[in-house]
Amino acid sequence: MSRFFAKLLAAFALLAAFPAVAQPVDTGHLEAELVARDQSIAPGATTYVALRQKIDKGWHTYWRNSGDSGEATRIEWTLPPGWTAGDIVWPAPKRQPTGPLMNYGYQDEVLLPVPVTAPAGAKPGETVTLKAAATFLVCEEICVPEDAVLTISLPVREGLAEQNPAWGAAIAKTLAEAPAPAGLDAAFQKKADGSLALAITGAPLKGADMADAYFFPFDSTVIDHAKPQAIERGPEGLTLAITAGYAFQQPETPKTLAGVLTVGGKSYEVSAAEGPLPPAASGLGPPPAKRGGSDDGALGLPLAVAFAFLGGLILNLMPCVFPILAMKAASLAGHAHERRAAQGQGIAFLAGVLATFLVLAGVLIAIRAGGAAVGWGFQLQSPPVVAGLALLMLAVALNLSGVFEVGASLQGVGSSLASSGGMVGAFFTGALAVIVAAPCTAPFMAPALGWALTQSAPAAIAVFLALGLGFAAPFALIAFAPGLLSRLPKPGPWMDGFKKLLAFPMFGAAAWLVWVLTLQSGETALARIFAAAVVLALALWLLGAAQRRQAAGGRPAVLTGLGALLVIVAALAAVWPNYGEGTAVATSAGSVGKASVPYEAYSREKLAAARAAGKPVFVNFTAAWCVTCQVNERVALTSQSVADAFKETGAVYLKADWTRKDAEIEQELAKHGRAGVPLYLVYGARGGDGVILPQILTEGLVVRALKDAQGR
Amino acid sequence: MLTRSLALAAGFALAIAAPAAAAPAIGQPAPAFTAKDGDGKTRSLSEFKGKTVVLEWTNAGCPYVQKHYKSGNMQALQKSATKDGVVWLTLVSSAPGKQGYVSPAEAKTWKTSSGAGSTALLLDPGGQVGKAYDARTTPHMYVVDKSGKLAYMGGIDDKPVADPSSLKGAKNYVTAALSDIKAGRAVATPVSKPYGCSVKYAE
Repeated sequence: MSRFFAKLLAAFALLAAFPAVAQPVDTGHLEAELVARDQSIAPGATTYVALRQKIDKGWHTYWRNSGDSGEATRIEWTLPPGWTAGDIVWPAPKRQPTGPLMNYGYQDEVLLPVPVTAPAGAKPGETVTLKAAATFLVCEEICVPEDAVLTISLPVREGLAEQNPAWGAAIAKTLAEAPAPAGLDAAFQKKADGSLALAITGAPLKGADMADAYFFPFDSTVIDHAKPQAIERGPEGLTLAITAGYAFQQPETPKTLAGVLTVGGKSYEVSAAEGPLPPAASGLGPPPAKRGGSDDGALGLPLAVAFAFLGGLILNLMPCVFPILAMKAASLAGHAHERRAAQGQGIAFLAGVLATFLVLAGVLIAIRAGGAAVGWGFQLQSPPVVAGLALLMLAVALNLSGVFEVGASLQGVGSSLASSGGMVGAFFTGALAVIVAAPCTAPFMAPALGWALTQSAPAAIAVFLALGLGFAAPFALIAFAPGLLSRLPKPGPWMDGFKKLLAFPMFGAAAWLVWVLTLQSGETALARIFAAAVVLALALWLLGAAQRRQAAGGRPAVLTGLGALLVIVAALAAVWPNYGEGTAVATSAGSVGKASVPYEAYSREKLAAARAAGKPVFVNFTAAWCVTCQVNERVALTSQSVADAFKETGAVYLKADWTRKDAEIEQELAKHGRAGVPLYLVYGARGGDGVILPQILTEGLVVRALKDAQGR
Repeated sequence: MLTRSLALAAGFALAIAAPAAAAPAIGQPAPAFTAKDGDGKTRSLSEFKGKTVVLEWTNAGCPYVQKHYKSGNMQALQKSATKDGVVWLTLVSSAPGKQGYVSPAEAKTWKTSSGAGSTALLLDPGGQVGKAYDARTTPHMYVVDKSGKLAYMGGIDDKPVADPSSLKGAKNYVTAALSDIKAGRAVATPVSKPYGCSVKYAE
């Protein structure tokens, strides 16, 4: 008991010796006070005393470089003789855009620590009063200069000081996180276009998430604060493309750029001298965007998975999947009345879909990890792949037409369902469906994929799996639901006709892929793919003839051999030699539509110029191989009312064609959290942010979006 | 169709030319502009061809502007400059509803009540002139020489604080630029850090 009282007494004694808690001063738009890291200070030692600003909501104070306007907080100390105070240790600031300007500063609450050193002759036992006259500008819309005279008393005591229980940890954390030199190498160069390239390398930057990298200069005149800083990654660092400030218009231009680099949640002090840039600071392209859309920025894994599943479901209805749906329908109708076989096929189809999604996800993740810019639908950006797919479609169509049969199913689709051939067939149907469906990003799928491609590999794979499950779900469900299966018509002679009818969507798909190919590689590719197609058709007819002869008991070795040889020749002719670059992609204004809206090929400069001219801008991110995009263009974008709306609003129509690989478009898609097309953006005439339109456009929707853009 | 494409092409050419003109640069022609004064009269930069012109961005509610007006510093500068034949245009780019915005009538009242010695007080509620000059703060100062080229842009002096006591001992960059121009010298400090409140443009 007595020990308890002793402790209590000791506690009171300690309390009495506490640095007097200075009352916070309300200066109007913030509360200011001095807080100490330690309970005491030893003679000759240094401690930290911080100016704490608890700022009203919506208001802010400024960093040492306040940016385009504003003024940094200043502290003038009145200290006992022999005591000294150093400069403020500035925590890394936040960017505060105001209209066309950019400021750097702090919101809510900030601690500005200052080192305070006691003289060696300070007497233990005495308590000194430190006085600070702080002046600061507090701004919301308007700015108010405010000031406060603050004091704090600090006991002098020998030995190691105890941490102040109220503020010690917070001040220590602020000091630990404050930008400090970290041995980074930096250099800058002035480019011909007047911009600055600032290259920074060093161990802390290796493998850092660079999506948010930003350079805050100490001197407000060296950069244009309001301009974005484009980021290029390198194996050991990064390069920022920065718009030069007016200091570079002086006769004596700056020779160093010093400031703070914030990257991946950390901040470092850097000082760059003018000179050659280290090569390890570039070459890996821009970082994958974290999240472009600001409103739906917090898409977590469960939501992304749910979106992916929904997207996969909807993908079944998208126009590019229709030929595959036709195949699935044919196959399902074929075994409607053999439940176990149907279930087997359902599972095989599901496995095919999932396996293909996994392979695609793996390839995509691997390529992106290597730093290359690829997005969803990338497989259709390669002409040989498109040519190969066109021939595959033709082969499937000829098969459905009855020119030849696959495997041993000569007696008709309904037989030998449970055979391994049927299962393998279903598996590859699934694979084929995915390959052709991939370029059609369905609604819900786009945000999920955009999110997935910026996440760790397991999270990305989870999203791709959910997508596959959604995609395969309707088919698998039908295969497993006896109620649904029994509703399908009984197999019979009608099936042969149905099958042959379904050949036509496949012929259509082949024709579409050939069109995509000509856009990618020009007209010479047309001759080549048609020649290959004719050879393939001949080969398959020969094989079909061989199959019939074999069924009749013959041994058509020569026919089979010749057919097989020709198939290989056709495939090689389509795929092997490199395709040329072709002519510029789709440069003429669409003459197919009912009304044509003149457009310009997209470039960042054109977008900026049109926005600077105060016009609404409609940007259409599209690709020839994206059927959703094509349908939207035919249905919504070439109608008379849309053309009128463009004319009325003076809106500029920019088309970003992603038919072929294009790093700039890729980057822009990523910025909006997308990994594929279509993406429709409408920018307001008065500098309003880009609004993302739905992926399925209607006339009314586009007209409304344009009119709305005129006023914002 | 052809005329439409031509118009579009011209539009793009204009659009591309606009931002190039919008980034003001020392030694380059100062961006041309027109703006209305308090009487509703349209004034333009070109009407002062052959004269040295000072542009001053202001916002009466801004503490940094008040530092120069309440002390009489700005009015004295204006009067000595205009006496020397220099044209002094004060511009308000605050959008309606924002701090510093004045109606034409209020503009006239403020010009008189503040004892301003400027040639004209011009209203730029749409912010076009401000953006053409990349005006960021109030005050933000520009000097256009007699040949119409931009000779100075930046702060009014080298003391970027709101405290009126900072006027003592401050080096006034505008005064320095005007005397350099008058003496036929190159302006020694053609750019400096503009300081003050942000210009209250429309969002």
